[in-house]
Amino acid sequence: MAAAGAALPQARRRELPEWLENFGGQVVALVGALLIAMAVGSVIIVLYGESPITVYSAILEGSIGDKAGFGYVLANAGPLIFSALAVAVCFKGGMFNIGVEGQYIVAMAVASWAALRLDFIPGPLLMIVVILFAILGGMAYASIPAILKVKTGAHEVVTTIMLNGIAASLVAFVIRGPLRYTDIGGGFNVNLRTDPFPDNAAIPDIGHFFGIRSSVRLSWVLPMALVAAGIVWFIFKRMRLGYEARAVGASPGSALAGGISIGKVQIRLFLLSGALAGLIGVQQLFADQGFLPSGYEAGIGFLGIGVAFLGQNNPAGIVFAAILWGVLARGETSLQLQTDVPREFVIILQGILILSVVVTYQVARRRLFARELRRAAEVEDLGDAAAGADIEGLAKEDR
Amino acid sequence: MLGDLGAAIALSFTYFTIIYVTGLGGLYSERSGIVNIGLEGMMIIGTVTGSAGTFYFTTELGWGLPWGPVIGILVGMTCGALFASIHALATVTFKVDQIVSGVVINLVAVGLARFLSSIFFGQATQSDSGQPHLNPIDIPGLSSFPLGLGKAFSGLSPMVIVAFLLVFPVTYSLYKTRWGLRLRSCGENPEATRSLGVRVAPMRYQGVMLSGALAGFAGAFLAVEVNLSWNEGQTQGLGFIALAALILSNWNPKRLMVAAMIFGFAQAIPYRLADAPIIRLIPPEFIRMTPYVVTIVVLAGFVGKVRPPAAAGRAYEGGSRI
Repeated sequence: MAAAGAALPQARRRELPEWLENFGGQVVALVGALLIAMAVGSVIIVLYGESPITVYSAILEGSIGDKAGFGYVLANAGPLIFSALAVAVCFKGGMFNIGVEGQYIVAMAVASWAALRLDFIPGPLLMIVVILFAILGGMAYASIPAILKVKTGAHEVVTTIMLNGIAASLVAFVIRGPLRYTDIGGGFNVNLRTDPFPDNAAIPDIGHFFGIRSSVRLSWVLPMALVAAGIVWFIFKRMRLGYEARAVGASPGSALAGGISIGKVQIRLFLLSGALAGLIGVQQLFADQGFLPSGYEAGIGFLGIGVAFLGQNNPAGIVFAAILWGVLARGETSLQLQTDVPREFVIILQGILILSVVVTYQVARRRLFARELRRAAEVEDLGDAAAGADIEGLAKEDR
Repeated sequence: MLGDLGAAIALSFTYFTIIYVTGLGGLYSERSGIVNIGLEGMMIIGTVTGSAGTFYFTTELGWGLPWGPVIGILVGMTCGALFASIHALATVTFKVDQIVSGVVINLVAVGLARFLSSIFFGQATQSDSGQPHLNPIDIPGLSSFPLGLGKAFSGLSPMVIVAFLLVFPVTYSLYKTRWGLRLRSCGENPEATRSLGVRVAPMRYQGVMLSGALAGFAGAFLAVEVNLSWNEGQTQGLGFIALAALILSNWNPKRLMVAAMIFGFAQAIPYRLADAPIIRLIPPEFIRMTPYVVTIVVLAGFVGKVRPPAAAGRAYEGGSRI
């Protein structure tokens, strides 16, 4: 009896709270990935005959060294946050929305239509209407793979890839056809953009509050993105949809047995994802350029996938990852000026970073899972030991 | 009028080559059990490295062949396979989700291509145009068809013929050899395959790297033989169209040929038949999107039924210590 009692605390000695263990595992994975990426990057830098320290400090200097540089980082973080959140929302429900790219460019076309054709709406009301149309456009396009998945079982990965291709063609058609530039006198290439949007569709600048010049285009989109991250966090921590999504993502069978309508959850998640995807383009359209060019920033929808991995699908992590991503991207310019390493080195660094995040995170997750399995086995053993002790005790009492 | 049709068919042979060869790459990978969304990225690596191979290899080796393009395509294939080994390492060795890894492959490829281009050509987004290419050939007999239809069979790149002939070795290797049976069984039931003494991981590595080599071939063909230079974004999503063709073909090399031909023709119409009756009334963008629409319709089960390899997308866990 006494021996069994002494063994129990020893076995439980190393147990940490579960959330701390998970959080710790994630941080270790992220830091590990950063170190791997920097180490591989250093090899490339040394091959160029430069010192890694010079190169990395040049990157940091260009991006967080001065106010304008950091303003650029933040201005670019907004769309990336929306994009990564859109990916993460579906991911939590065990689905992979590769169609963020398509949803975002369709939403840009819809929002451009609203800005150009609903220009009778007075004042800043137009801006709000335009943003709503962007959200609706993203949701409408995201509803296609969602409905196909729920009604016909078509896998969302393949349908969204196909819908991305369709979206690119659709927007090319819109820019060339219905929303084509009408002012022939300007000497512009009339095929490659829409008319300029009315001024009251523009999203105001916030950079001047912090002494950042307005050409940086730090706008209200960034606070919107932070609010969106907060909302997503709230939905997944505190609301029924979040709980149901996690249940469906973890085990559809158990979720179904628990009375959750899987299809309904999947459609809602896709709609939420589409709404977030719809907001990716508003920074470029209404805070930066003021028209829809054919050379819109293609690829943000895919970059969002990378940022979501980097932030490990956690809203706070995503905000951090988007800023980290922006720091690297912004560092390009100063890299070119101060060192012999070409600016494209940064893209390689970003690529290695995502690759190593994906791998280290996977390894860490498997480690955690293995530990859980071991612990479950241990608990079983302890249970057996305790049961054995009880029987011994009973036997003693009998004597 | 028929001359336009001939020209359209000739161009669709070019698109066919790209879509078919890339699709065959996807076929090997997915038949071994590894879903390959990264075909587009592997193709991109093929374009930039293939172009560099042509650019740097100017030595004359004899036999009257322009060796630059040949070496360029071989370099593109090799680099495509090497690049694909990242996908294999991630999915087979580290058991990262195959879709995740494929997406990352596509992301990384765009950046890597720019980086390589800045090394090879001193600029990030294109190479000098007008590089050498293989002498175009006319197919005897067919190229003298009357009414301009002969255009379809003249001035073709020799690599188009290679692509058409690829169906024989591919079908043979998959269905008539021990290796092919093992590869396919890894994609259907890796556990059973292992129980028969075949190691799954090496088979899957081979499948993925072959897919990289074939996608690299298609990319190099595009840069070296079609555009005669490297340009950023020149793959235009053809890797995804190849994926669509692969799905439509039900992962079968012969049916893939038909799918690639139809999709290739759809890509060629806006360039060569834009003024034809009826087609004139349809915006070219809508014609270009047909492969995607068709694939969605088929996937949704409105027409026909597709059945991917049973174990594609699933990591093989057996024998692994976590």
